[in-house]
This record gives sequence, structure tokens and C-alpha cells, in this order.
Amino acid sequence: MTLLSVRGVSKRFGGLVAVNNVSFDVAASELVGLIGPNGSGKTTLLNILSGLADPDGGEILLDNVPCQGLTPERLAHRGVMRMFQLTRVFRRMNVIDNLLVAGRALGLGADEALARAHALISELRLDVIRHLDAGQLSGGQMKLLEFGVCFMVPPRIALLDEPFAAVHPTMKEIMGDFIRARHEKGQTFILVSHDMPVVVELCPRAVCMNAGDVIIDATTREVLNDPRVIEAYLGGQAA
Amino acid sequence: MAPSSATSPAGNRSGVQLSNTKTTVEFRAALVAMAIVALIPLGVSNPYWLGVLIVSMYFAILAGAWNLLAGYTGQFSLAPATFAMIGAYTTGLLNHYFGVPPLLGIVAAVVVSGLVGLLLGRAVLRLVGPYLALTTLSFAEIMRLVASNSIDITRGDLGLGVAGLLDSRIGWYYLFLGALVVLLILFYMLLRSKAGLFLQAIRDDEVAARRAGVNVVFWKTTAFAISAAASGFAGALYAHFAELVTPELGLIGQTGLIVSMTVIGGMGTLAGPVVAAFLVYVLSEWLRDVGGYQLVVFAALVVIFARFFREGLWGLARAAVQRWGRA
Repeated sequence: MTLLSVRGVSKRFGGLVAVNNVSFDVAASELVGLIGPNGSGKTTLLNILSGLADPDGGEILLDNVPCQGLTPERLAHRGVMRMFQLTRVFRRMNVIDNLLVAGRALGLGADEALARAHALISELRLDVIRHLDAGQLSGGQMKLLEFGVCFMVPPRIALLDEPFAAVHPTMKEIMGDFIRARHEKGQTFILVSHDMPVVVELCPRAVCMNAGDVIIDATTREVLNDPRVIEAYLGGQAA
Repeated sequence: MAPSSATSPAGNRSGVQLSNTKTTVEFRAALVAMAIVALIPLGVSNPYWLGVLIVSMYFAILAGAWNLLAGYTGQFSLAPATFAMIGAYTTGLLNHYFGVPPLLGIVAAVVVSGLVGLLLGRAVLRLVGPYLALTTLSFAEIMRLVASNSIDITRGDLGLGVAGLLDSRIGWYYLFLGALVVLLILFYMLLRSKAGLFLQAIRDDEVAARRAGVNVVFWKTTAFAISAAASGFAGALYAHFAELVTPELGLIGQTGLIVSMTVIGGMGTLAGPVVAAFLVYVLSEWLRDVGGYQLVVFAALVVIFARFFREGLWGLARAAVQRWGRA
């Protein structure tokens, strides 16, 4: 069953076509890798899907209901949760409060939100730092915290933008295990990453973008062996 | 599946307290400070100094209200004194022209200033940093000039006489103190609720707050309205204390004092701005002889605190206690 449907979505910045007539579907419980070289339009597409940018054209359906143009907060309430490439946490609030914000905003009661926050803190191994302000954490710990925020209330679809970038291998493993476990339970993901071994391991399917276009949408193995993908990453001479 | 509250580990309960510990400690410190203020009249009976302390409490309410907006929500408005002036004129005009009793006038002042705050908050919703500051500064000057030039209605700079509320200065002292304590309790309850979480989240990162599902438009506007209503309440109370309302209540210098009190006390802390209001206002009285230079002194202090002591006097006191605890 299709959960998210992206149909002919485009976005321009002046003369630059950042996203060009992009279409693909994501089924419920699917874990899709969204890959492509820098500047290919992945983050712009996630911005559109999470309500931070309006598309110039096209349609986005969540559960067959149009959702383009909705604000990020309304999309969050409809189950679209976004993790940013450049970490965004509440720096002057402690780890617990960072998690509680999402829990309370998305409708959990005080006790339930707190129980959920502690469960996530334990699962993501943030126990030791749970009372520190987020601004005092290392870059990797902040990433892990933001990752946790996305799952305070299990989203319909999690849009993860480069969760593994510049993260210690141990934390990468924690996030990888978490994604794997949630996927097995039916959680839907779109995972943007340049870390190809992780994409191969986690994502059965991948969509590759280049210069705003989707150049291939297939199994991850097929995508990585496709000459167009190799050319996009390594330049014309490699083809 | 999240465990239900009934099956939550005991540690979760302590987690609630720990995540709110900072606010609770600050609230208790503020209450201790207010208890000390309550005892001052036992040793000080000079009407002049009691008056100085009453005005300090007026500023403490304004500093607390502005701190809610700027310190906890990150909206650097430069119109707190303007909302006090709006509150003062609301009750003053109602009393002067329609004979509305002061208590009813004060309620009307809270409502009117809150509504104006709501409208201004909605208008400046998408403005941040210097743009927000300059827009609210323009609003403040426009409102003050309207009050000053509407001579037929407000009597302009001559001032509008209004009825008093109490005869005794001691009575006024404890009325202002009671009002300040009630507002402190309300702010504390607000900050410990989910609203407090949302306001601080908006301050730290508006985009992240929206991503987390926080209705940023609603909470930013609400913070503006609450802060304005509290300022209007202080202004209305002051109007009946002074028995006179003038446009001077909305002078930018008054906002400068409020900002100084908040920054010196510690922006985003519950106790700091309230306690600093007493220190700064009493100091301003001592510096009265040097005239306009007092604002230069406060501006210099604001620069020093903003540059070197971001958590203000509250942060310095907390660091000192921690050092003492370790020794």
C-alpha cells in the first residue's frame, strides 16, 4: 500500500532547477535510500516533503491525501518527521526536555511523554548525558538526540537527512540498529546518505537523483551498478 | 510501544523534577528575595524610599514580563514600557471620563494591553532579531507620540489625573509586592507546563520547534499577549499609585531600564530580572544627581554582562554557590 506519493514535483531557485519533475512512491513499511551527489536536489526534496519549502509544481500525497503546502508542524501532526543534515536541537534545553517538546507537541500526556523519553534515552544510550543541555553535547551526540526526537511519537514516515555524517562509528551503529529494528516493525523511512555501505545494508531500494532529476529508482544493488549513477558520482570520464 | 505512566520506572518521576530543577530553584530564590522585600518596611519607614521600592516592584513586573518574551521565547521586543503606558491610559481614561472604578479599570487595562499585544505579536510574527526590535521600537514611538499629541483626550504631557486606590504607602507597598508574587507564581506555572517547553524550544530553534509539531504561530503570539497583558497590569497599577498618567511611561528610556534589569539579572532566568529590578532602580535613584548619565552607566553594564556574563547576576550567583559547594 502506497504511503507517500511524489508526483511531478519541481522546485526552482531563480534559474536553477533544484528538483525537476520528480516522481516516486514509497510503500508503507518501506525503507528507501535517497542518494545522489552533492547538489543533486535531495535536501530540497526533503524540504518540500517536510513543509519547509513549497513546490513550484506537482503533487504530494500522504495516505492518498494531498499534503503539499502544509506547514512543518501540521505535517508533523500527520506523521511526517524530519531529521536535518545540519543538526537542529534546542541548545539551551537538556536532553530530556528536547525529547519532551516533540512528545508534548504531538499530543502525549506529561507522564507518557516522559516515559517515552526515558525509553528512547535508554535505547539510544544517552543516559549519561540526559541532564546536560543539548548545547553541551558533541556533534555526534546532538545528531543522536535529534534522531531520537523524530521517534518520540512513531511517525508515519521518517525523513532522515544524512544521519550518519560525521558521527562516531559507535553512534552510527546505534542509529543503524535502531533503524533496522524499527523497519522490521513496519516503520517507513526515506534515508538520505552518502555512506554507501550503510545504504546497501539498510535499504532494499534506492532512488538516485542528479541535477534535480531522478535518474534511477530500483533495488539498491541495481542503482549502485548503474552506469548513470557511477557517472553522476565520478563525472563523465568514468562512464 | 511506550510504557504507560502506571508502569513507568520510578526514575521517571525524578526525571520530571530534574528537567524542571533550574526553574524551580530560580522560583524559590525569587520567593526568598520577595520575603526579604516583605520585611524591609519593618526597618524602613521613609516614604521616599518606600516609594522607590514600590517603583522597583513596578519595574520588576515589567522586567519579568519582558523576560518571558525575550528571555524565554527569544522575541526581542522594544515595547514593554509602551504596554505599561497602554495599560495606564486604559484605566486612566476610563476613570477620568467615565468614572470607572480603579479595580475594573485595571482589569480592562489587562484585557486591552493583552489584545494590543496579540495584534502586534501577530503582525511581527515573521520578524526576528534587529527587524523585530526596530519594528517594535517604531510601534513604541508611534504610540507614545499619539498619547502625547492627543491633547484633547489625554491632556498630553500635562498628564491625566486619575483616582487613587489606597491611601497608605505601606498598603501600596504590599499591593505591588502581592501583584509581583502572583505574577511570579503564574510565570512559574507557565514555564513548568508544556507551554514553557514550547516557548523555550521556539527561542532555541524555531524550525526545529515546527518540525517537532509545535504550533509556533500560536505560542509566539500567546507569549506576546501574556507579556503585554502583564505589562499593562503593571502600568494600570502604577497609574492609580501615581494618580497621574503621562506619555513618559512609554519613553524608550523606560524600556532601556527594563532591558538593563533583565540582562543584568540574567535573561531567561526567573529570579534574575526580578531581583535586578530592585538593584538597578535603587542604583538609578542614587545616580539621579548625574542626570542622563545614569543610562550610560546601565548601558555599559548591559554591554559588560551581555559580553562576559550571559546569565547575568543569577549566573554569577549560581557559579559562586557551586564553587562554594565544591570547596
